[in-house]
Amino acid sequence: MRGLTWGYVARRLGMYVFTLWLSATIMFFIPRLSGDPVEGMVARITMQSGHVAGGEELIAAWRERFGLDDPLFVQYLTYLRNMLTFDFGYSLANFPTEVNSLIGRAVPWTLGLLTVATVLSFVLGTVIGALLAWRRTPRLLRVLMPLSLTFTAIPFYILGILLIYLFVFTLRLFPVSGGYRSGLTPDAFDPAFVNSVIQHGTLPALSIVVASMGVWALGMRGMMITVEGEDYLTLANAKGLRPGRILFQYQIRNAMLPQVTALVLGLGGLVGGTVLVEYLFGYPGTGALLYQAITNADFTLIQGIVFILILTTVTAVLIIDLVYPLLDPRITYERR
Amino acid sequence: MGDDLPRPLGPAELSRRRFLQGTAGFALVPITATLAACEGGSPSPGGEGDGDSRRARTLRLPITSRIASPNLWNPMAPGMRDDAGFQCALSEPLFMLNYETSEIEPWLGEEFTPNETLDVWTLRIRDGITWSDGEVYDADDVVFTIELLRTGPAEINFAHAIEMQKWVRSVRKVDPLTVEFTLTAPNPRFQLDYFSVKIFRSIVILPEHIWAGQDPLTFENYDPEQGWPVFTGPYKLASASENLVTWERDPNWWGAKAGFQELPEPEFIEFEAAETEEILVARASNNEFDFLDDITTGAYETMHGRNESMVSWNPDRPYSWADPCTRLFSFNTALAPWDDRDMRWAVNFAVDKDEIVDIAYEGSTTKAAMFFPPYEGLERYVQLLEDEGVFEEFPILEHDPDRAAQLIESKGWTRSGDGYYTLDGRELTLQIDTPTEATELSRYAEVIAEQLERVGIRASLRRLAFPTFADNIKLGEFEAASDFSACGSVSEPWYSMDLYHQRRVAPVGQASGGGATTTGGNGVRWANAEYSRQVDAMASLPLGDPRIDEHFVAAAREYLRDLPFFAAAHAKKLYSHNTTYWTGWPSREDAYIQPPVVWNSSHRIIHNLQRA
Amino acid sequence: MDPTLTRIAEAEIEAEEAGARPASPWRNRKLVAGAVIVGVILVSTFIGGLVWDTTLARAATSPLNLPPFWVDGGSMDHPLGTENSGRDMLALIVVGSPTTLRVGLIVALISMLVGVVLGFLAGYLGGAVDAVIRILSDTAMTIPTLAIMIVIAAYIPEMNATTMALIIAVFAWAGPTRMIRAQVLSMREQGYVRMARLSAVSDTEIMFREMLPNLLPYLAASFIGGMSGGILAAVGLEALGLGPQRVPTLGMIVSQAIEGSAILRGMWWWWGFPAIILMVIFIGLFLIAIGLDEIANPRLRGART
Repeated sequence: MRGLTWGYVARRLGMYVFTLWLSATIMFFIPRLSGDPVEGMVARITMQSGHVAGGEELIAAWRERFGLDDPLFVQYLTYLRNMLTFDFGYSLANFPTEVNSLIGRAVPWTLGLLTVATVLSFVLGTVIGALLAWRRTPRLLRVLMPLSLTFTAIPFYILGILLIYLFVFTLRLFPVSGGYRSGLTPDAFDPAFVNSVIQHGTLPALSIVVASMGVWALGMRGMMITVEGEDYLTLANAKGLRPGRILFQYQIRNAMLPQVTALVLGLGGLVGGTVLVEYLFGYPGTGALLYQAITNADFTLIQGIVFILILTTVTAVLIIDLVYPLLDPRITYERR
Repeated sequence: MGDDLPRPLGPAELSRRRFLQGTAGFALVPITATLAACEGGSPSPGGEGDGDSRRARTLRLPITSRIASPNLWNPMAPGMRDDAGFQCALSEPLFMLNYETSEIEPWLGEEFTPNETLDVWTLRIRDGITWSDGEVYDADDVVFTIELLRTGPAEINFAHAIEMQKWVRSVRKVDPLTVEFTLTAPNPRFQLDYFSVKIFRSIVILPEHIWAGQDPLTFENYDPEQGWPVFTGPYKLASASENLVTWERDPNWWGAKAGFQELPEPEFIEFEAAETEEILVARASNNEFDFLDDITTGAYETMHGRNESMVSWNPDRPYSWADPCTRLFSFNTALAPWDDRDMRWAVNFAVDKDEIVDIAYEGSTTKAAMFFPPYEGLERYVQLLEDEGVFEEFPILEHDPDRAAQLIESKGWTRSGDGYYTLDGRELTLQIDTPTEATELSRYAEVIAEQLERVGIRASLRRLAFPTFADNIKLGEFEAASDFSACGSVSEPWYSMDLYHQRRVAPVGQASGGGATTTGGNGVRWANAEYSRQVDAMASLPLGDPRIDEHFVAAAREYLRDLPFFAAAHAKKLYSHNTTYWTGWPSREDAYIQPPVVWNSSHRIIHNLQRA
Repeated sequence: MDPTLTRIAEAEIEAEEAGARPASPWRNRKLVAGAVIVGVILVSTFIGGLVWDTTLARAATSPLNLPPFWVDGGSMDHPLGTENSGRDMLALIVVGSPTTLRVGLIVALISMLVGVVLGFLAGYLGGAVDAVIRILSDTAMTIPTLAIMIVIAAYIPEMNATTMALIIAVFAWAGPTRMIRAQVLSMREQGYVRMARLSAVSDTEIMFREMLPNLLPYLAASFIGGMSGGILAAVGLEALGLGPQRVPTLGMIVSQAIEGSAILRGMWWWWGFPAIILMVIFIGLFLIAIGLDEIANPRLRGART
């Protein structure tokens, strides 16, 4: 394989496993800092129906059931084993619902929303970036585009709320929140359901699209311009190739590689960043679930979700590292 | 990893990319307008019924968070949501306490009488009750349930298991409609505390023929084919999903057949998720909800301005109904300098409770002299204190910064250059714990902190997540807190007063309680022998007995003298109901029962609703 | 005509029209514009602090819910209005803006310093050191940072601006580290560095004398990126209600406004003013970032947009 050596692959795999382990370990300790989940449940019940007699025994019994009283080391080993077998156990705050079923319900939403949104923003952004860098773009577009890109600079949260107010409350164009209209059963083949999903997903998807669009655009523009100064491009011009051909075969193709890298990295990491989006739009994905879990100090649920997030991110990065040299023969990972 | 490129990406691009990617999502652009046009002008927000007639036959209520497990209908599992119809449509209580009259009204149970020594209680069940699948509801089910709670795992205490273990020595069926409870000790409040929906819920009697042999913790109790969940209420579960639960009226309800009550008018009850206040209010303004749980004053006024049919419990200020858990300001009396009652009284004088009502609550609650909610049964006792001149002796509601200064300075504190009191080089500080989830609590904590700063105490807020907040109070690892730990009494004073009995005191670092729990049980670590003695004297007297009065006054005096905590304000619940489709709601003028619609007592409300 | 020649001609014409070539690449228009914007905010809040009573930023100090003075019901005593706990908006902004900027600054400083040190070590020394640093930075980038921040923030008893900045900085250092490492890697093989090594100049001297100056635009860019990223993360935390509670920050004002149903109540001044200031800050930083980008990558300078 060009560029790849067995030594390199082995090293990367080693680092992959190690990173995974380190992240997982950190995620074992951190939720435990956030307080006792049973304590939280009791406190909440107290707020609703007054003093809970027998609360101490209750808390003690639950702690034992969840193994929270076992020595830390034992808990840690159990945790590692659970992560490896993807058996995340019961959700502490929603007992006896299992973590897997909660995550299973939420993941399709996040994946759906994010994949669509990211791909859309990538395509749009890259196109805009390329156009911005190309000499022959009409003047009008050149002026309009940077304007749209400055929206990127504004904190999402604030504009998101403003737009919810505008498009949801005032103009009544979009539904208020959620993934789909209440009462509809999730059925991929039901047109009413699908339509409802699209309606509910438009605003969240759009916020992601327009915001990240700027990132892709600027990156692409930068790469295109850098590439433009390259010698081989001068040669291509000198040879008299058509501008369109130069644009596509040379400029874009060479600028795309880092873009695609960033895309895959982005996809892997974007799943983690959706807490804010889902919180704002009431979207029933893993981000909202994670936030709920954190407020309830629901260790098992937090660990389950985060582990999956970590897994996807690190795997995405690994894939990039292994695939990159195949795409760009100039790159070699030989140690110097 | 992208960084071994021969031609590295521009650094600003990389870092920009990082920061922009890091929070996933930014602004919008008028693309949305175009897209909206493509949608063809989507229909109005939220789920509606199938048309006007169905809406007029449906009672629509909100739930403020999505249901994680819509197939879980086991009242003993902590994950079950009982605010989506379990309490108000499905499960009926044996008795109901009416806050407005202080009477315990019969529902499934007819009578629950104690013997002279208050340690043997006899329950008589109404005749003719059947479960929704046709089986007879009788003493067997009661005995089965109590036995399950007594002998089952401690984890099911969300259903009062531990209390049954503590109080019930034995329970036996006398005849199909009579059950006899033998208690471990005299308890005048046995019926009140556990079987009368004292606050929100009460012990749920389970159908033996379904629950026998099931694991009480993991049993889902959901099987639409068999009509599970089975209880006695006038509604059956039609469908349940994450954000919508629909109940359908059951024409075979036992109550109608047995002549107990007529079938309630709403044919359907729907609970729909509406997570934020904005959404709640928007939908309500649009008449999509018939009752709203607590909202902020500003939101209510805006909503009422938009839709006059949304009316609060009290049409004028203060709009709200007071809920049982009076808001307190508690000191950790084990820590200096707050172990001195004069210092605590100084804080009380420094606090302006009117300002708390005006600013923290924007006018939607009332001041509280004692830590009891203002219900009929308790008002009588507070009035007693008034009549005996106790409030003249201890002017708890007075705002007197001069007196506060006097008290503080009498302990040797002097004001330093920057305005705060100091003594031996130490500044007079007070850290107030407040939970992040409860905005109401942190708002008044903020106002109190501000008021303390004005008199020279450096007050700071410590915002904690609920579990940590509760834990700190339990362990005594706090200085002051804005809490509601005295919650429990709603018609008789003993319950809340006993929470501050000296037997519950534990040293800092150990859980306070002595059988009590996190936010209850003397987290303030106040040990007063005289107070405890008086409270003990009240413990075994029957409800409403005139002998309670003198003990109550004596205990109240001790509390007021020492003031380990004081009431900041009555707890606000700004409920509002919609008169567009349904009338017959409880309100200040027509207070036939307390207003919460998701409590087990709300069967009364639902039966009282009529089509508008 | 040949496009390359066209471009040279066009650039020359442009330069002639502009009068003279800019004296230094640092006088980039966008950079200056951005710096001016951020500077104006800083200065005005400083002046504001001297001129306006900042104690009005505390609860219960002013009448509730007043609109700005140009709206009916407003008054010049509270020119930008008040919110529902009796805090004055102008005071809040005067106190909140520097706090927000400070958070960004702390994050940027820490992440840049750590990035320089670790990036140099990793890129220059290579080997085991490099591997360790890469693993650590990968881990820092892998863990869903917002999730951890939420957990940590919920646990910290007294969240103030500095603590929040430190928490964010814990995750912010990974990006600059990797970027600087990449730069160092590529610079290491360049002619002047090789020369220096051959002439037995000490490693530290090479790093600081030879390589660091060339990295300056990258460092500056990473600093600005850290600042925006820090403020952004802070706003994210604040949106969830986890920011510093005693000292106001712009993000907290907005999130409290949302909690207090400000949109519903039509109290646009409550969230509007801090939102505008935040936007201006970000646009300013954004312009600086683009400017620095152009300085670092000379080819971008000649580009038309």
